[in-house]
Amino acid sequence: MKRSPALVPLLIVAAALVLALGPFVLPPFYVRVGQLMVYSAGLAVAWAILGGFAGYASFGHAAFIGVGAFAAGLVENQFSALAPGLLLALGLAVGGGACAVLSAAVAYPILRLRGTFFSIAMLGVCHVCAEVNNNVDFFQGSMGINFPPLAPASMDPADFFFWLYLAAGTIVMLIAWLIWRSRFGAGLLSIREDEDTARMLGVPTERYKRLAFVISAVLTGLLGVIYAHALGYITTDSVYRDDTNLNLIVFSLLGGMGTLFGPVIGAFLLVFITQVILGRLLDFHLFATGLLLVLLVLGAPGGVLGVVRGWRVRRRAATAPAE
Amino acid sequence: MSAAPILQVDGLSKSFRGLRAISEVSFAIEAGSITSIIGPNGAGKSTLFNLITGYLAPTAGDVRFRDRRITGMATNRIAELGVARAFQIARPFRDLSVFENVRIGALFGKAGSRDVEATTRRGMELAAIAHLADQPANTLTVGQLRHLEVARAIATRADLLLADEPCAGLNPTETAAMIEVLRRIRASGVTIVLVEHDMPSVMEVSDRLLVLDAGAMIADGPPHEVAGDPRVIAAYLGSPDD
Repeated sequence: MKRSPALVPLLIVAAALVLALGPFVLPPFYVRVGQLMVYSAGLAVAWAILGGFAGYASFGHAAFIGVGAFAAGLVENQFSALAPGLLLALGLAVGGGACAVLSAAVAYPILRLRGTFFSIAMLGVCHVCAEVNNNVDFFQGSMGINFPPLAPASMDPADFFFWLYLAAGTIVMLIAWLIWRSRFGAGLLSIREDEDTARMLGVPTERYKRLAFVISAVLTGLLGVIYAHALGYITTDSVYRDDTNLNLIVFSLLGGMGTLFGPVIGAFLLVFITQVILGRLLDFHLFATGLLLVLLVLGAPGGVLGVVRGWRVRRRAATAPAE
Repeated sequence: MSAAPILQVDGLSKSFRGLRAISEVSFAIEAGSITSIIGPNGAGKSTLFNLITGYLAPTAGDVRFRDRRITGMATNRIAELGVARAFQIARPFRDLSVFENVRIGALFGKAGSRDVEATTRRGMELAAIAHLADQPANTLTVGQLRHLEVARAIATRADLLLADEPCAGLNPTETAAMIEVLRRIRASGVTIVLVEHDMPSVMEVSDRLLVLDAGAMIADGPPHEVAGDPRVIAAYLGSPDD
């Protein structure tokens, strides 16, 4: 597992550049699938900074997609005269800021809960946000918000948003990598493994958990802002989605919980399975996701990367000389 | 010359809903010593460690480390000052390798600058587990896990190590190895406080014994004196009057 440190970010950027060629060679349907893949991968990695690294599996991260999207939309509509690029920058700043404030506010009480209790409390946070968003007129959740078009006239919006997601996803991935290899990342890992022992070894567990939570929430919110622009019009139901809440967990489980690349692999795989292989079967993908989740938890709790690692260990054991 | 004690406990008490687990315990630990705290099961030894390391807040009393009041401080803050603890039931980070486990201690622990790699290696060497560096922690034996526990605690560059029954459940060979490790750690300048049941190892390694019974301190002194103390014998075996 010892790689030279510069290799990973190079690999990430190289992979992103290769993916960026997608819209030039793929038919439009696959560009849309690609959009969803890259968006999902970004979300999965943002989720994993808290859920995978620190072991606090949130079941309500769609809250930050929704809060980010609505905060951005409400403010952007006040400044619709701005150039599209500036408007997006404003939306990202406001959406990210709103998620930072919300996550910092709920972090203190909610991160005292562990395991399933934390997960379920996050689901509660998501539903409370959705209800408030939907029922307080000011937020226009039930009526919906329009987002100004962003894509330049010369470009297909599908291609444009594919690249935008890709750029955002790459940045999220690089941030996750920076955290992964830092002292902060090692601290989060020790929290996942045994929080009490971590604290005893001097890991400032409370501060680290809160920081991971806020970073994860803000990155999720930023992706939510882009998602809202890609949709062009959102209501409460289109952003506060429980299937998103579920998928974020499945991505990590499928690819490999607590790894750097697992969530990306999981997101690509699951989107491919549900959109391409099962694409014609409409709502069947929810059934498939549920079934996959059960099978994973029972059969391969380490996900794809866990299975690969198991093979490697077994092969090494088989080739090693018997003692 | 009498140097200031590294750890000073004054009138420490802890009640759990009226049950007195620790009752007005006072003692001072001299820097560079190995002190063992012994006592029958339920005497409050582990509670005492929990109070010192900040896991529990005392009902009354004071704990001072290097003349600084640490009573009720957060556990990780106490660790930053230089107090480490090795648990009785080893609590390794199971999915990590031995090296990675010890590295967490080296990355955190006592505040101040450090060479993480060198500290990690030194911790593993002191605890005699350098040869296990790449093994996943969940493949270690009970004895090896105890060494890992100690290595990780030492890697925090602590000045005071609280070791909770490091020899419990170990066979004689493993016990001898652990005692050797504790001696080496002390020789490297770390003060050690042990909670231990294994009397032969206690007698062999300790400079001083403290005896707890039912939450109160009943004896304090050099091992051979304390072991012959009638109150201590009564606490362990019961007195003829009972």
